[in-house]
Amino acid sequence: MELTKNITLGVYLPGETVIHRLDPRTKIVIASLLIFLLLMIKSYPAYGMILLFLTAVIFISGIPIRYALCGLKPMLPVLILMWFFQLFLYSSPDAHVIFSWWIFTATDAGMHMGNLISLRVFFLFGATTILTLTTSMVGLTDGMESLLNPLRKIGLPTQELVMTMVIALRFVLILAEELDKIVKAQMARGVAFDRGNFIQKTKKLFPVFLPLFINAFKRAEELIVAMESRSYTGGKGRTKMKTLHMGRVDLIAGLIMLIFSAIVILIIFTIQPQI
Amino acid sequence: MPIEIKNLCYSYKQGTPFEKKVLHNVNLSINDGEFIGLIGPTQSGKTTLAQHCNALIIPQKGRVVVNGCDTAEKNANLTDLRQNVGYVFQNPDYQLFAPTVGEDIAFGPVNQKLGRDEINNRVREAMEQVGLDYNIFYKRDIFALSGGQKRRAAIAGVLACRPRVMILDDVTAGLDPRGREEILAVVRKLHEEKMLTIIFISNSMDEVAMLADRIAVLDKGHIIIDDTTKSVFGEAEKLQQIGLELPEVMEITGKLREYGFKLPQTLITLDEVVELISADLQGKQVGE
Amino acid sequence: MEKLIEVTNLAYTYRAGAGNAVTALSGINMEVYRGEFLAITGQNGSGKSTLARHFNGLLTPDRGEVFVEGIPITDKKRIADIRKAVGMVFQNPDNQLVSSIVEEDVAFGPENLGLAPEVIRNRVDWALKTLNIESLRLESPNNLSEGQKQLVAIAGVLAMKPECIVLDEPTAHLDPRSRREVLENVTRLNRNEGITIILLTHFMNEVVFCDRMIIMDMGKIIITGTPQDVFNKEADIVRLGLDFPVAARIASGLRAKGLILPESIIDAEELVNQLCLLK
Repeated sequence: MELTKNITLGVYLPGETVIHRLDPRTKIVIASLLIFLLLMIKSYPAYGMILLFLTAVIFISGIPIRYALCGLKPMLPVLILMWFFQLFLYSSPDAHVIFSWWIFTATDAGMHMGNLISLRVFFLFGATTILTLTTSMVGLTDGMESLLNPLRKIGLPTQELVMTMVIALRFVLILAEELDKIVKAQMARGVAFDRGNFIQKTKKLFPVFLPLFINAFKRAEELIVAMESRSYTGGKGRTKMKTLHMGRVDLIAGLIMLIFSAIVILIIFTIQPQI
Repeated sequence: MPIEIKNLCYSYKQGTPFEKKVLHNVNLSINDGEFIGLIGPTQSGKTTLAQHCNALIIPQKGRVVVNGCDTAEKNANLTDLRQNVGYVFQNPDYQLFAPTVGEDIAFGPVNQKLGRDEINNRVREAMEQVGLDYNIFYKRDIFALSGGQKRRAAIAGVLACRPRVMILDDVTAGLDPRGREEILAVVRKLHEEKMLTIIFISNSMDEVAMLADRIAVLDKGHIIIDDTTKSVFGEAEKLQQIGLELPEVMEITGKLREYGFKLPQTLITLDEVVELISADLQGKQVGE
Repeated sequence: MEKLIEVTNLAYTYRAGAGNAVTALSGINMEVYRGEFLAITGQNGSGKSTLARHFNGLLTPDRGEVFVEGIPITDKKRIADIRKAVGMVFQNPDNQLVSSIVEEDVAFGPENLGLAPEVIRNRVDWALKTLNIESLRLESPNNLSEGQKQLVAIAGVLAMKPECIVLDEPTAHLDPRSRREVLENVTRLNRNEGITIILLTHFMNEVVFCDRMIIMDMGKIIITGTPQDVFNKEADIVRLGLDFPVAARIASGLRAKGLILPESIIDAEELVNQLCLLK
């Protein structure tokens, strides 16, 4: 019963590789570009390129592939369901019917649509997982803060937003562990979480969240007092110990990404989409 | 209700890059009616080991047999087992689920689907055992309790399930001396009068020394000593080596022994210390 | 000696909801001298935390006054100066660490003071070094033991270079080994760095090294004095539900047996020394 075991999204795997050493801003921009490309792709060859790219990044960054994939496990049912949805519901005028039963009709167009959307979700997940596995949360938030900085001029409280994120990140793990303890304490007093149907199981979760929320509020209250006594008065007048620096590797990585994007865009516009 | 632990191994986050071995090949048998102390430095695996004893954790390797029931067995009735082996956690905030004391203590019996009268009897009895007055505390808000009262309510909640074994995981942490005394008195009474088997995890050597008949010492997931309380404290050096602090009395007797005082190399009570030192010194004075 | 904090006639009442008023403090008069190590003890609920929260303006008095370096804590404009002078460490380290990286957390306070990056870096390095936790610099607090977390919390306050550090039961949830480690570090901050320490605790063996102690009960100061003076009032301490240091108990047992031992024995070292003199 370890709730945090199979969560890979948001986990940082410390390392010393080139990918780890890139400026977080570079990584955020590259990941955003990838996501943008993924949303435009409609053909298998282009997905092949993305697969190649991500595999290369995983290889360089030394992330164990099995670990990177195990985070996908909880999403698998959703992916499969989505695939079936597309298979039966999507159709186009010139589609070939693969088979048909009662009110369900599966066409090749539906299958391609299912494939493409599943692949899209799969790769979106892959890109963000790699980003968080190779970038510390603090790095990510620093990067975000720096990238969002221009928005301060239009009155967006970016520093406060980022501080909220920093704190949320620190407490997500604490709360997950706390949840684990509460579930155990209830099991110890006769709650059988592993028995019953979905509704019964869900109902059993209510008494779990009561102490969790109460404790979370208590923590928040104490944290506010602690921050206040460490002279925190909001983002105004605050300085940072660490300032981000872009180096040669970032330039090279940026160039590689530019070339890669150009190729993918070329593929997108030249190769006939599957649907 | 004997507990038999054989060749138990456990790794945290098994199968991920963060995998960490917590228990290595642990063997331990706990007999009926025993008061066993479980000590060791932080992160030595005490809690993980104890949570195997009531099937909150199922063995990854090795076996845990509670009263003849193997917890890893597919059709083992773990819900019953957990009612028989109660577990009181370190922090009462994680184990009080209902708004009032009475409702919370009834949580276990309600899960057992007992009749209303039976539930009420059990709540009343449990409250009495931990020294919470039924009339005063039954309707009391959980949040209006002091630290010591919260812990007593948590113990009562476990007692209402009528366990035969009780695991207490560092239940005195954060209490002031008076609150600590009260909890320890409750625990002692449960052992002596209710004949409960007690598995007592604590960071305080003084507490373990005072209460336990037998002590198992854990270090980095290995049981390194498993013996009577007296013998365990005879191995002061080994305890200090793994980072445990001796009971304060022993620190003083240890220093005095270095200066030639005739004091035994194990745990003795404060009165015994006074007796021995004064005999030692006054014997000398008479001799002169 | 120069007064760092001065409290006169302080009273404070908690009002929880409608009509539920609990008097937490009444008629408190006390002072904290610059550079001293002061321990405040008392049972849970005796009011020591409430009192301590007045020392850097987290609470403001209902009646009476509190001055820090001569500034009244009710002076809203100078509250930043007060918080810079008096830092605070709380019981649960998990609820006071902000960042997921140790050194970033230690930098949080100095960053709030608006210092230049290189100054912050120096202070963070210095604070980590002073507490011997440089090796934890890049760790996540989630992977540290409770004792290590508490040292990080102290480093976070230390990096702000305060005149005084208030520690509110910093060892309550720690195992004995970590407790000793935290205490040794705090004592060192007082002796070597000249930082005024106010330690709130209910462990009597922690107060034996302090210069002066205050015992509180039901929102009032009951006893003030050096530990040696205070532990001579055995009956009072037992009545207030507090522990007695083991060494003092042995000494008092031996005195009852007719041995002549000074009344000032409260810690193990002193007891052993005195007994060796008799041998």
